[in-house]
Amino acid sequence: MDLSPRASEPSRKPRRWLPIILLSLVGVGGIVIVTQFLTSAIDYYCNVDEIGVRSGCEESTRLRVQGTVEQGSLQKSDGKTSFVMTFNNKSIDVVYAGDPGGVFQECISVVAHGRMIDSTFESNRIEVKHSNEYEEKNADRLDSSGSAACSQVQG
Amino acid sequence: MSQVLQRTSPTGTRTTKVIGALALLVMAWVVVSGLILTPQDVVQGESVRIMYVHVPSAWIAYLAFIFTAVASASWLISKKHSMGFDRFAGASAEVGVMFMAITLITGSLWGRLTWGEFWQWDPRLTTTAFLFVTYVGYLAVRRLEGSVEQRARRSAVVAMLAVLEIPLVHFSVVLWRSLHQGATVLNPNGDVKMDDLMLFTLFSGVVGFTLVFVWLVLHRQRTMLLVDIANRQGLDAAIAARQTESLVK
Repeated sequence: MDLSPRASEPSRKPRRWLPIILLSLVGVGGIVIVTQFLTSAIDYYCNVDEIGVRSGCEESTRLRVQGTVEQGSLQKSDGKTSFVMTFNNKSIDVVYAGDPGGVFQECISVVAHGRMIDSTFESNRIEVKHSNEYEEKNADRLDSSGSAACSQVQG
Repeated sequence: MSQVLQRTSPTGTRTTKVIGALALLVMAWVVVSGLILTPQDVVQGESVRIMYVHVPSAWIAYLAFIFTAVASASWLISKKHSMGFDRFAGASAEVGVMFMAITLITGSLWGRLTWGEFWQWDPRLTTTAFLFVTYVGYLAVRRLEGSVEQRARRSAVVAMLAVLEIPLVHFSVVLWRSLHQGATVLNPNGDVKMDDLMLFTLFSGVVGFTLVFVWLVLHRQRTMLLVDIANRQGLDAAIAARQTESLVK
């Protein structure tokens, strides 16, 4: 038996960049698919003006609708809260069974969960969608405006 | 292994002590300013104070994961395959996961106070949770059986894929309709609508959390080094014992 050391075969230089480039391509491809082709499936809500217009915002289905609580429209009676929700010059009447509480107020953006029944949106969940503006609370201005969110909108 | 660790010097140095002291000082300022000096928000009231923890922890988690990817790429590309890169990547990911957990917890509390819900599967929250789970997975990959080189190679690949999620998380509020607010400071218009003291406290939080991050990573990557040394010495000792055993027989 020949036990003498054998000459090693010439080894190929490992291609270190290839896996990185391949992985990057896969990642970028995934991002393109998610951002370009899945938008309507991922969007959290329909805007008020899209009800019955946009795909996925059909009146017959349970919806999450986003809009701003119109100033002067908020009413609370018999344990129910009603208000007008507006977006892009379109409005709907909303009735919520309960008191939303928290920072819910006029002029603030909200997302209402519910169904359209006889041209009124009957909601059983309200989520307040606060803005990306942060401003010092000013007691004098609040007294005159009546609502903190309205004072922020009016500037 | 514990004997080896006991024989080695502590992981702290003069630099880490200075960084630790600075971190304490800045964080003390953030606590005082965030809880007492900064005003209430006109809409959110007192709940806005959660921002001084929530936002910096999210940014530092992003930073930690980017460092992990850079260190991982450095390990893959470098000819020497220095294990220092791998340890830095691992340490940075561990601290990043901790900050991400803080982000999720504080965000959940803030969401309850403003939205009225602890959690909703909206694009920002879902992608953030996905990022968190991905890096928990990364840490699990680091603990798979194998040599330190195998550990480094596997985890480097995962780290370089996982970092691609960060732009997806950050721009989720731009790409899709989200319950989560849009960016205030890093918004595309560059128009920051925030009270001056609030903004200053927020940036103080970022500085403080960055110092905490650096302090933790420096210590953690040194303890990782000690564990690697201990494992190697343990293996050497086991081989020597086996050789002695075979000679005796």
